[in-house]
Amino acid sequence: MTGITDLKTLEKQAFRRFYEDGIFDIFLGLMLGTMAIGALVTDSSGSETAGLLVMFGMAVVAVVSLMITRRRLLSARLGEFKPGPIRRKRITFVRLALLGSVLIGFVLGGLVAAGGVSIVSLEVLMPLVWLINAVVVFSAMAYFLDVPRFYLYGFLFGSAMPLLIWPDVLWDYRLAPWIAFGIPAVIVAAIGFYKLVGFLREYPVQAPVERVHD
Amino acid sequence: MTSNRQPEGVDRVIHEPARLNIMTNLFVVESANATYLLQQTGLTWGNLGSHLAKLEEAGYVDVIKGYKEKQPQTTISLTALGRSALIGYRENLLAALAPVVE
Repeated sequence: MTGITDLKTLEKQAFRRFYEDGIFDIFLGLMLGTMAIGALVTDSSGSETAGLLVMFGMAVVAVVSLMITRRRLLSARLGEFKPGPIRRKRITFVRLALLGSVLIGFVLGGLVAAGGVSIVSLEVLMPLVWLINAVVVFSAMAYFLDVPRFYLYGFLFGSAMPLLIWPDVLWDYRLAPWIAFGIPAVIVAAIGFYKLVGFLREYPVQAPVERVHD
Repeated sequence: MTSNRQPEGVDRVIHEPARLNIMTNLFVVESANATYLLQQTGLTWGNLGSHLAKLEEAGYVDVIKGYKEKQPQTTISLTALGRSALIGYRENLLAALAPVVE
C-alpha cells in the first residue's frame, strides 16, 4: 500500500518505472553501434559517404522501430499517463539539453566540413567538446528523469571520440573506430537487454478487457 | 449511529486504503489510464472499478471513457475537488494524530 507521506518518491518511482524496460538503453547502444558500423563501412569501402549513408540509414531504422516497440511494450504493461506539471517542466529541461547538444553537433560538423577548424582544434578540442557535450546531456537526463544509470551512459558515449583520437595524437596509437564506438555500444545495449528481460518477467501484459470501461 | 469511530474531520471516502492508494497515485500525475492505475495500485479490475465509482460519485475523480486506436480506453484524473480533498485529508489526519504522537 502506498502511503501519502512521500508523494515525491511515489511520483519518482512511477515515472522511473517507464525507463526500466531497457528499450531506451538498447536504442542508445544502437545509436553508438551505427557509428561503429558506419566507421567499419568507411574503413572497408574507403568511401566516407557510404559510411555516413549506412550510419544514418541504420539510425533512422533504429529510432522508428524502437520507439514503436517501446510504446506498445510499455502501454500494454504499465499503462499510460500524462505527467504532472513539475515532471513536465523537468522533461522540457531534458528536451532543451538535447536540442542544445544537437545544435552544437551541427555547428561543429559544419565547421569541420567547411574546413574551418585547425588540426589542433580537431584533435584536441573536438573530442573534448564531444565528451563534455555527452556528459552534460546525459547528466541532465539522469537528473531530470531520475534515471541514475544515464550518468554512466554520458561517460560511455563521451569517451568514444577521445578514445579514437587522443591515443593517436599522444602515443601514435590508432584505435579502430568501430572498436572505440563499438565497446561503449555493446556495454549500453547489454545493460538494455538485461533490463528488458527483467522488465518482461516482472511486468506481464495486463488483461485486455478494461472492466472499468463497461 | 455507526460503531466505526474515526478521527474527526477525516474524509471517509478517502480513508479507505484502496481509495487512498488510487487518490495518491492520481495526485502526482495529470491523468492516467486504467492499466496504469492497476499496475500502480496492485488492485484487480473489479476492485479498481468499484472504488473509482465511489470516488467519481464523491466528485473526486473524472472518469472519461473513450477509444484509442480502436481499443477502449478509460482515462482517469483527479478533479480540483479531489485534489483539495486529499490535501485536507492529510492535514486533518495529521492534526488528529498530533496529540497522540506528541
